Amino acid sequence: MTSTLKGITLKGSAELVAEFFSFGINSILYQRGIYPPETFTRVTHYDMSLQVTTEPKLNNYLTNVVSQLKEWLFECSVQKLVLVITCLETNEVLERWQFDIECDKSAKESSAPREKSIKTIQDEIRSVIRQITATVTFLPLLETQCSFDLLVYTDKDLVVPEKWEESGPQIIDQSEEVRLRSFTTSIHKVSSMVAYKRTDSA
Amino acid sequence: MAEGGDVEWELSKENIQPLRRGRDISALHQALSQQQDGPTSAINQQRQAFESELRMYDGDDPLGVWDRYIKWTEQTFPQGGKESNLTTLLEQVVTKFADDKKYNNDPRYVDLWIKFAENCPEPLDIYRYMQAQGIGVMQASLYIAWSEEYEKQGNHRKADLVYKEGFSRSAEPHDKLLQFHRALQARVSRQVMMTVHDDSSDDEPQQPERVSLADLKHRGKKKAVAPVNRTGPAIKSISGGLQSRGAPVLGNASNSRLVIFDENKNQSAGSSGPAPDPWAAPPTSRAKENEQKAERWCDVKIPQKTKFGHTVMAPPPPKPTFQPFVEESTQPPIMTPCKINPAVNTVLSARKPTKEETPLKRLQDHHQLQREAEVGKVQEQSMYCKELLLRGATEFCFEELRAERYFLKMGQHSQSSKPETDQPSV
Repeated sequence: MTSTLKGITLKGSAELVAEFFSFGINSILYQRGIYPPETFTRVTHYDMSLQVTTEPKLNNYLTNVVSQLKEWLFECSVQKLVLVITCLETNEVLERWQFDIECDKSAKESSAPREKSIKTIQDEIRSVIRQITATVTFLPLLETQCSFDLLVYTDKDLVVPEKWEESGPQIIDQSEEVRLRSFTTSIHKVSSMVAYKRTDSA
Repeated sequence: MAEGGDVEWELSKENIQPLRRGRDISALHQALSQQQDGPTSAINQQRQAFESELRMYDGDDPLGVWDRYIKWTEQTFPQGGKESNLTTLLEQVVTKFADDKKYNNDPRYVDLWIKFAENCPEPLDIYRYMQAQGIGVMQASLYIAWSEEYEKQGNHRKADLVYKEGFSRSAEPHDKLLQFHRALQARVSRQVMMTVHDDSSDDEPQQPERVSLADLKHRGKKKAVAPVNRTGPAIKSISGGLQSRGAPVLGNASNSRLVIFDENKNQSAGSSGPAPDPWAAPPTSRAKENEQKAERWCDVKIPQKTKFGHTVMAPPPPKPTFQPFVEESTQPPIMTPCKINPAVNTVLSARKPTKEETPLKRLQDHHQLQREAEVGKVQEQSMYCKELLLRGATEFCFEELRAERYFLKMGQHSQSSKPETDQPSV
């Protein structure tokens, strides 16, 4: 994003959102301990320090997903992105991070760029990521080894690309849900929410 | 959807202690919004209800009431702290059912013990005590918590041994034990690999880095001047905490490391691993420095002070062995006016319990008393329902107890009288 660009285009918006997902997913993987903390490295982005994975396979996978997401965002055909965390041994879904995407379909490639400063968008993104970090106050400790999966909700008429397969929603039964902050680029609006297994209150 | 919806939890995030099992978000919101309220708030009412239930419960499972109360307390008082009375409750429940064999391996009870241990200054002692008493030895959760404590202290070998003990006792659930054991082994092997990797990459001589918060040796004989170069031999001692990567370099330079006496590093090095030691006596008392051993007091004369600060005369000297010559006058010998008021006891009062009295010690004292009671030693017995009044976190007064009994009876009455009024008149 060069600073000479004024305003947000569809393409620019897609890139911003995809970038957010890339950093956001990395953060969640780090916070929840899906991968060992030593495999992450600190980078600075959005004026804050973030953790990004250094493991090549994971990095590859995420890069692929994010570039595919960018395409879909550009086409406005993606509605949700879900990060599902499952216990490795029992295959039980423990946590579910859901990002709802609303796309302003009136924005086309050729339309004029919208007025919204990148700085504002970045501030909003920063609040979201900070809030994700703060969820540790109420999320249960993930004691077991966990794996994660990414689900994407798209328009019905979309062709499933090669590397993806169809799957169920993987909802947690008896879950607690907490709405988190949202941010908008004026073309795409992303709201977040986390669902976790209900604590066994006697 | 509102921007971020309810963000009270995020605004108070420093004041919320994360729980292992997570928090119920609605309870969290209620707790945060009601923290300002006074004594009539819903929270206090709920607490009062729990306290009454503790005393009035009549069924088979008293532990259930305690368990629910404690879980409610955890959720409702996100900051923990004195207000929640959590430590009091945990200590009470643990002591109360310590001898009740039927709860020994009840998972709820074991979890309560573990929470209690985590609140104590030395959890390892608690876990060893539990093992000696047979509490929770069939539960995987005990071994998992125990091992995590060892791991936290850096003792990976013992952490592993604990799991072996768990397996040998066939603790349930077995799969969980297996899973956590494997996770431990993975963590340990990663750590080993990391240290190996670090050592091998330490080829280039590192620039001696400045260590923060370290004590510096001062230069100069007469005037103590801080050294200009604050690295290397200028560092007096290396305390724990903030050490940069320069520490290994410094370690070579300053061999005179201060080994700080740690009274808490108890003689566990000597004691064997998790093998059950017979625990008739309390655990090793804390080795404190600079404490004189208790000595015989008799021959030492200390000038005593009265309440008002006057130095009292020494106590009257003992009677001489010879018979003093008494003149044959009818007057009795004049007693010197005694400045000591016999009603005022100026001898040092009984020592208040010091902070060394840990919850574990109290538990063991309680145990000791109970055993003595069984043996038949004379015990102090209170002739009122002291235990009932003091149960729980708050103290009930007699009237409250009476009121509870009254409400219970009224409740039962209304239930029993209902069928009579409902008889249909045909």
